[in-house]
Amino acid sequence: MGSGDRLLEFISRRGFRKGWTVFNIAFFLLFIILPTVFILSYAVTDWSKIQNYVLNDPATMDLIIGAVVVSFEIAAIVTVIDFIAGLPVAWMMARKEFRGKQFLDTLIDMPLAVPTAALGFSAAIFWAATPNPPPFSLAVISSPMLLIILLHVVFSYPYMVRSLTAILGGIDETYETAGRTLGASRLTAVRTITLPLFRAGLVTGAILCFARSLSETGGTIIALATLYGRKMVEGDFQTGPTLIGLWKDASVSDPSLLPALAFVSILLIVLALVLLLVLKVVIMKVRLPLRKVWPTPEKLLSRGLFPKFKDSSAVLFLAAIVLVPSFFIFTYVFTGTPAQADWGLFIDALVTSFAVASVVTVVDLVTGIPLALYIVKNRSGRLAQLLDVLVNVPLIVPTAALGFSLGLFWSTLDSGAAVPILLIILAHIAFTYPLVVRNVVGAVEGVDPAFEETARTLGARPLQSFRRVLLPMIKGSILAGAIMAFTRSLGETGATLAVVANANTAPVYIVNLVNSQSYYLAAMACIILIIISYMFMLLLRRFTREEVV
Amino acid sequence: MNDQEYLCLLGPTGAGKTTALRVIAGLTAPDEGTVHFDQRDVTSVEPEHRNAVLLSQTYSLFPTMTVAENIMFGPDIRNVSDRDKEQMLVSLLDLVRLTGRAGSYPRELSGGMQQRCALVRAIATSPDVLLLDEPLRALDARLRIDLRRELKSLAKTLGLTVVHVTHDQDEALVMADRIAIIRDGRIVQVGTPSQVFNEPASPFVANFVGQSNFFTGTVVSSGPDGSEVEDDTGHRMKSRPTDVPVGEKAVLAVKVGHTRLLKLEAAKLQGRIERMLFEGRVVHVDVDVDGVGRFSAKIPASHGGRYQVGNEIGVGWNRNKAKLFPYPEGGLENELRVD
Repeated sequence: MGSGDRLLEFISRRGFRKGWTVFNIAFFLLFIILPTVFILSYAVTDWSKIQNYVLNDPATMDLIIGAVVVSFEIAAIVTVIDFIAGLPVAWMMARKEFRGKQFLDTLIDMPLAVPTAALGFSAAIFWAATPNPPPFSLAVISSPMLLIILLHVVFSYPYMVRSLTAILGGIDETYETAGRTLGASRLTAVRTITLPLFRAGLVTGAILCFARSLSETGGTIIALATLYGRKMVEGDFQTGPTLIGLWKDASVSDPSLLPALAFVSILLIVLALVLLLVLKVVIMKVRLPLRKVWPTPEKLLSRGLFPKFKDSSAVLFLAAIVLVPSFFIFTYVFTGTPAQADWGLFIDALVTSFAVASVVTVVDLVTGIPLALYIVKNRSGRLAQLLDVLVNVPLIVPTAALGFSLGLFWSTLDSGAAVPILLIILAHIAFTYPLVVRNVVGAVEGVDPAFEETARTLGARPLQSFRRVLLPMIKGSILAGAIMAFTRSLGETGATLAVVANANTAPVYIVNLVNSQSYYLAAMACIILIIISYMFMLLLRRFTREEVV
Repeated sequence: MNDQEYLCLLGPTGAGKTTALRVIAGLTAPDEGTVHFDQRDVTSVEPEHRNAVLLSQTYSLFPTMTVAENIMFGPDIRNVSDRDKEQMLVSLLDLVRLTGRAGSYPRELSGGMQQRCALVRAIATSPDVLLLDEPLRALDARLRIDLRRELKSLAKTLGLTVVHVTHDQDEALVMADRIAIIRDGRIVQVGTPSQVFNEPASPFVANFVGQSNFFTGTVVSSGPDGSEVEDDTGHRMKSRPTDVPVGEKAVLAVKVGHTRLLKLEAAKLQGRIERMLFEGRVVHVDVDVDGVGRFSAKIPASHGGRYQVGNEIGVGWNRNKAKLFPYPEGGLENELRVD
């Protein structure tokens, strides 16, 4: 018996398999969930500090409440805009065949390829009314709130369209056809039959958009800094995450800010969890007045110019509000004034970002895949159901709050935890891990368990049946999850800043450049980051395509 | 069960047939009881060590592998030498007439080819027992009937021990050495096809394997020549001898195929033809007997012209074809339920 066989023999033992599962569940709970929500314990242990420094300090309190309210307002408005503008496009993608559909499909995903820091800068120089706007920019927006809404729409829009398209594609069109043969106009059939069926997709889309907007930090900071033409200060327009970034930066020299930081993080986490739960219940349970039918006006709206007008304005929205601002930054190559710079710093930052993203992705895969398999194969078990819900928590929690919580957790455990890069990696694992797990769970659920069972009865050990039968079938989704995790880590600013104030990753480097008004350099750095991310995006699309075939 | 036997597990949907197979294969742990292969208790043995190969309803041909790779999956795992595998593959492909398709992917094969491919993949590991879960279900009706013969002869040629799950009684009758009738998770009868058909152990079996007509009443006489049952309306019908004591409530069952249409005056049961269904070789006739219930019969299609819906007609049977059962505890309807 070779050593390979003996190893296979060993890891095929029930004991080992059980141990491996327990290890992965423990990893998830201890390294991801616990640090993410650890900050909540601060409210218990250090309540007096929160009371002294925050609750009894009206100025701080106003600041926090104001920022958190603004964050939620923006997230809500953004989600509604995404839905209204995204639904017609999702409809076209799911139901219609037209020339250039493939092209439109690629366009929709484009903003996902751009790291939010780069996106924030690009959108800001396009919209913001600054003293010296770059050529061709609109430069009309002077309200910070409006600017941030426009920015958040850009990067959350693809999530909404993707979620809606996926669920629309899954709804059997025959219901609608049946409705129409019974005499309903197209609009009536869609509104009363199809729309009520896709609440689930709406929930997913709304939660993704909401969470994404709520937790965005890097792009927001950059956009505001660009608008103000300087580094942000406390009196400026603030969202929850930018406030965390600002205070975390300042807390290095002023530890009395810690309770305020903790309070804002707790508020964001708790409100995000509660609100998303409410969102889910509202969308799933509330009876919308969808039953009533207005045959005549609906018939009129189903024909003639209106549908064309609806489709073309939705595509126009995609082009003007989402795509042009995303890639406006490329005009800098032609119009900007080249500046001398020390590229070494940027290269360093880029290398750091890549190293972090690589390690994060590997850890996500190694520990995330077993957890995903456990969740799918024990669907009926309580623990698996609980894990399935918990996995979403880091997706929903604003990354800045998550980063702060995580930093606090590890420094509490070990005051010498001064290895910043390790903290950054742990923080990035926390919010990218769900992406891998979700993707793999989705893929494995689509595979008939009979394949693996048959392999087992043919004599394959569990590991063999996974590697030779299941793995080739879900390869595409695993890669998709990995690349999502990778690009997400590469573009993350909020969590990085919140865990280590002076981190040196590429997005943070860009934030610093914008803060010091080195716009040309910032633009170049953004472009490089965009190009690299875009190449990964292309890979992602190729792999996900393969699986469909 | 015996070596080289072809056993059919027959029962309605949800009776636990597939669960039984999964327990044998080791994919589901039994709530209680043990599984024995020969004298060996294998209840806690992993599926890969049982050498009991499952062929699932959908065949589960691995879509990422070619036909040859699929078939050689088992031998590959067992580290069979390349030369042996080569030879084995050639003879197996030949066995099921797939020689030209070794490099195809499962999705490129027809339903029948997929079925044969999955079958040789299972055989390639020379299993101690082959577990077939409705292996013919996904095929067209015509092909299904052809493949019954082919599957059975293959199993006999190779001397395989087979457990074949099906809900199709015709399939079970044609293919099995023995049939085990399973219902609500219990085996209610095991026997050769003719035993199960002619000597059903319960009204349920009588009806499930070849539909039966039922006549409920009280046993009024019983002897070596046969028994007689009388119902509330005074009709008296005869059956084979029974051990149900006189005075007990009983159910008489007679196969639809053994029920005859008689001249009105010659019959004890008289009724009106309610419905006639043309089934090709035979015509199915439903007769409503006043106060007793509906009786069905099959008549040769060539006789179909003699009768019409609404005709008054008699129903009867040879007493040796009718079997008497004690009245089932939960009532007759409940006994016959198939869901």
